[in-house]
Amino acid sequence: MNVLKVSRWTIAAFIMPCLIVYLGLVFVPILVSIYSGLMDWNGIGKATFIGFSNYAKMFTHDPVFWPAVRRTFTLAGFSMLVQVPVALLVAILITRFVRRPNFLVSSYFLPVILSVAIIGQLWKTIYNPAAMGGMINQILIKVGLESWTHSWLTEPKIAIYAIILVSLWQYLGYHILIQFTGIQNIPSEIYEAAKIDGASGFKADRYITLPMVLPILKISIVLSFIGSLQSFDLIMVMTAGGPAHATEVLASHMYNMSFITMEYGYGSAIANMLILICLIATVLINLLFTRLEKRYS
Amino acid sequence: MKKKPFKFFGMAMTGVLAISLSACGGGGAATTNNAAGGDTGTDSSGGKSGSTENITITFQNIYPDASDPKNQMMKKIVEQYEKEHTNVKIELDSLNTDQQKLKLKTQAASKEVPDITVVNPAAQMQPFVDEDLFAPLNDMVEENGLKDTFQKGILDYYTFDGNLYALPDGNNIGVVFYNKKLMEEGGVKVPTTFEEMVDAVKTLKGKGIQPMVIGEKDSWTGSFLFMNILLRTNGGPGFLQDVLDGKKTFEDQAYVDAVQAFENLVQAGAFQDGATSFDYNSGENLFKTGKAAMYYMGSWATGGIETAEVSKDDNVGVFKFPTVGGKGNADEFMLAPGSAFAISKNSKHLDETKDFLNYFMTNFPKEAFEAKGAVGIAQNVDGDFKAAGYSDMAMNVLDLFKEVKGGDLAFDNTMNPATTQVHLSGIQGLFVEQKDPAAVAKELQAAYEENK
Repeated sequence: MNVLKVSRWTIAAFIMPCLIVYLGLVFVPILVSIYSGLMDWNGIGKATFIGFSNYAKMFTHDPVFWPAVRRTFTLAGFSMLVQVPVALLVAILITRFVRRPNFLVSSYFLPVILSVAIIGQLWKTIYNPAAMGGMINQILIKVGLESWTHSWLTEPKIAIYAIILVSLWQYLGYHILIQFTGIQNIPSEIYEAAKIDGASGFKADRYITLPMVLPILKISIVLSFIGSLQSFDLIMVMTAGGPAHATEVLASHMYNMSFITMEYGYGSAIANMLILICLIATVLINLLFTRLEKRYS
Repeated sequence: MKKKPFKFFGMAMTGVLAISLSACGGGGAATTNNAAGGDTGTDSSGGKSGSTENITITFQNIYPDASDPKNQMMKKIVEQYEKEHTNVKIELDSLNTDQQKLKLKTQAASKEVPDITVVNPAAQMQPFVDEDLFAPLNDMVEENGLKDTFQKGILDYYTFDGNLYALPDGNNIGVVFYNKKLMEEGGVKVPTTFEEMVDAVKTLKGKGIQPMVIGEKDSWTGSFLFMNILLRTNGGPGFLQDVLDGKKTFEDQAYVDAVQAFENLVQAGAFQDGATSFDYNSGENLFKTGKAAMYYMGSWATGGIETAEVSKDDNVGVFKFPTVGGKGNADEFMLAPGSAFAISKNSKHLDETKDFLNYFMTNFPKEAFEAKGAVGIAQNVDGDFKAAGYSDMAMNVLDLFKEVKGGDLAFDNTMNPATTQVHLSGIQGLFVEQKDPAAVAKELQAAYEENK
């Protein structure tokens, strides 16, 4: 604690503003939402206490809830199992083969800084039917794959995957940046030593890069998981959860219930589930990585 | 040695933080305290308000677009009012419809409704009225005959237990706009029955012309059209009211038939590919840019279509929604009483706010007429539309208004929000998947019973 040679009071004084804002903007709302999750409340009028009825309804009655959970996890799964590994691969390739990688990494990062509304509109146009100038469908027709054309965002079975693809595309650069930085931080002496011992190329990646980048990989995975659970804006812009709830995820369902259907209490209950899932998943991911790290160190 | 600069730096930083924090607090206090000043003497008000205190009235509205005639009109009236009442400042809070709905709900939850706000008719404003958030306007509309400027019956949609709570800016009906040139190219006539309409759709489709368009991402659009079909299959208005009164259920034949008819239309290929990903504006734009032959919408779209490319050479006409299966009366329309201005019961300056709203609504028809936005407003307009340069299409719409013999309100104006959402997504689902009409009806009935 005394490394910085600053008094504890000074540290406290610095932390306080942030802490107060953090507590006020994160913890207080969570408490309030736990409380209103026990209420039957339309958001305006009087709330009546109904115990856990909201949760009972959510688990047994709500035809949208479980499919929304499934879609949320599909998105998270794709993000963790496809996006992050691909990002790692790209990061490794960039580090190894590109001499001035900054430009490339920045380009990959570009979609992340664009507003989701722009990304959504852009991809909506790309996904449009050919008659409306949709790029994908026109290309498919040009190369003679007319039977492959779809109305990507409106066919219930594929719409959610169309959105997942956009979300993976957008945040790929984010994970590349994180992991690229992680790999850069591995001391080059280790690779040099390994080279002398005869380990280079992908062998070096397998035994040096992968283990040493694990902590960074963990951050990436946790971020991608939580990000997927919170995915909301992209869905709102592209389909608003439609057609007929076919692209509804937990966050959009929560929003619709709270503000459109005006069942604020029920919406809060869904929000609490979301928090719970986030917490459990974060703990699980941490456990998994602690094990992995132990094995490799 | 090293310790000192750090400590000094630390203290300085904390100081800066403290100052910036307290500055924030101060700023907040200053904005909430807007009625602080007291006695600037010059009172030129009409004497009604009597007070000379400087006051600010917050006017939440849904006219944020500066190029929209309504926005210009509003600013003009507000300016006039401020000129005549120098002690009153009208603060505009202009938001788009969805933002405003959300903001009002948030404000209502904390009982901080702005002096004037915007609500939707009937069932949609019911929760706010139940919470006693709005001031009754009965006296205010009586005192100078404002009430009589409104069309007959329109104020009923904003009246609860004999108390009028809001004054509407619009009163519209559902009509079908059509592109004369495309209809001619396709060789189809204006349909007089729904069956002819489905045939026309098929013919147009066969000739490569997009028969109809819709912005079904905003699911109310499909519902609005569907409800017009229901109005026919039910043989007249009042189906939803009958459901509410327990005389009918959604599983009745009228509703099932309407779903079937709607599916026929969709399956005939009436709507553009990917209709459920088009929002209201982009759907309407397809019609406005001449890409579709027919477009079903409320008459509020008249102004926008009138000024669009497609209307050149008087190319757009309107027709009444036809009868379905020989049932219904084409003179019964989907009625869409517009959004309306309500006054917060807890307003600090209730009398002044009422006075201003009275002034605003009294001047509304005249200004709207001049801004060429008077088609579909809720008040009677004196003036020769034709002479004022309104297009033939606008004249046609105005003629249709004269033929209205009753009708129904949109689903969300009659039913509670939870049932409405199930209905909306049920209809949206029909655009992407063919379903058994009875099953659609059954699902809705179940949702209705659960959320009664």
